[in-house]
Amino acid sequence: MEWIELAPRHKYGLPIATPFLPAAGTIGYSDEAWDWLDYRLLGALITHPVSWHPRSAAAPPRVVTRGTGFIIHTGLPNPGLPAVIRHHQEAWKRLKLPVIVHLIATTPEETARACETLTQVTSVAGVELGLADGTRPAQALAHLAAAQASGLPVIVRVPFRQVDDLAPALARAGADALTLTAPPRGLLPTGRGVHLRGRLFDPALLPLTLQTVAYWASRLEVPILACGGISSLEDAQACLEVGAVAVQGDALLWRDSRWLGGGQPGAPPTAPSAPESQESGVNP
Amino acid sequence: MPRHQTLTLRELRPAPPFWLAACEAALAPGAGQYLLVDFGGPLREAVFPAQLTAEGFLCAVPVGHPLARSLPGASFPAYGPLGRGFRLDEVTRLLLVAEATSWPLVQPLFTAGAEVVLVLEALTRTQLPSMTQLPPNVEVMVLTRDGSLGQMGYLEQSDSPLRELVRWAERVALACDPERYPALAALVREVRLHPLPDFAQALVQGPMPCGMGVCDVCRITIQGRERLSCVEGPVFDLLEWG
Repeated sequence: MEWIELAPRHKYGLPIATPFLPAAGTIGYSDEAWDWLDYRLLGALITHPVSWHPRSAAAPPRVVTRGTGFIIHTGLPNPGLPAVIRHHQEAWKRLKLPVIVHLIATTPEETARACETLTQVTSVAGVELGLADGTRPAQALAHLAAAQASGLPVIVRVPFRQVDDLAPALARAGADALTLTAPPRGLLPTGRGVHLRGRLFDPALLPLTLQTVAYWASRLEVPILACGGISSLEDAQACLEVGAVAVQGDALLWRDSRWLGGGQPGAPPTAPSAPESQESGVNP
Repeated sequence: MPRHQTLTLRELRPAPPFWLAACEAALAPGAGQYLLVDFGGPLREAVFPAQLTAEGFLCAVPVGHPLARSLPGASFPAYGPLGRGFRLDEVTRLLLVAEATSWPLVQPLFTAGAEVVLVLEALTRTQLPSMTQLPPNVEVMVLTRDGSLGQMGYLEQSDSPLRELVRWAERVALACDPERYPALAALVREVRLHPLPDFAQALVQGPMPCGMGVCDVCRITIQGRERLSCVEGPVFDLLEWG
């Protein structure tokens, strides 16, 4: 079996068995989607976005649909990293998947603290830094440096509108991989006299994702994970063909997981064990 | 355990202000539970039963809903049943409380008690269903904001008939706007000295795209604590609100 290496420049690497991953925020922190999704099909688990401190949910309405897509704004509620670790680290061990914790990049200090804490969790294989829209290059590099200090493999999810500004700088600064891209921000009327500003999910984003991945895959020497508008195996394949090493599926996983194929959801996990180098090297 | 299944539309008839769709499903949701159905839109929709049948269930959908625009025989991918529904043991005196836009959600409970009273609130009489749609074993009390039918007023007011009925009931099931639940919980606390857990059960209806508690769209705040309607509800103990 051929492993896909998400962090070839990292001393221990981040190998995954299949190129399909759930995007942050789509299947929860650990095994919440166990009855719904066959985890054996996933190369890794990317967790729900987590911040160091607890965050509350945004006020409703939180979702508006239009055509084939929708805008969602939840405020990324979460109980804070210490509570997430407490509640989910046992499940992470049972999943037998590399666990990549998606960290909401709030301040470099909190990023450093969170990553340092994660090095104590043996089942965590890496982190994905979720940069906020409008993050300046200097801020992005400060977050990256803070995360790298932990020694964990670091993937950075780049905001949709800032790929040109951030991706080359992050690659040069040693990001192990880049996720291109975070969902774009949009605005839609809710029908109640207010507008909802939030993340846009739509299959129509696929051409933009393909264009972005195709352009940067040949120019950057880091693995690229494609994210945005992937709604079928063919879409995923197209992303791999233009240079992505792996893909992240997002809201489609809420519609039907069976398009991924595979076995019966809820079946015991039989994903192959990670190679020794990963087992021993994730948390130096 | 929820499972993938197919929802098939068997019959459609108008029941103003809704359309009533007879649906066939291998595993029908119980009262207060739901199926997540893929109607071809970007997100799945929660479908609640209005009445359970031998083949499946009836559900009430608004005009323009994908089911209301489909032909009998149309089928849709579905997943469920999901959620924590109404929890009623053998009840003699059951009180149902609903708004005109949500009363089908308590309709499966029409046969759940020996004596059933339904309190319906509407802005005006044109929002209300025809009383012929309601079975004879259900006693109906109507409140309209403009007084066009029944008593003029609203559920939480000081002389609401709800107060006397809450004293009478063994169980209460509600389907209202969740913003009203704190006031309704206070009303229950006023007239019942020490109600048992689940004495009054309140359904929270809203978008629940994922059904597994991961998308955060259905989060509600009850007494400062965030809860997930799709997995912890959608039926909650009303007294958690106050």
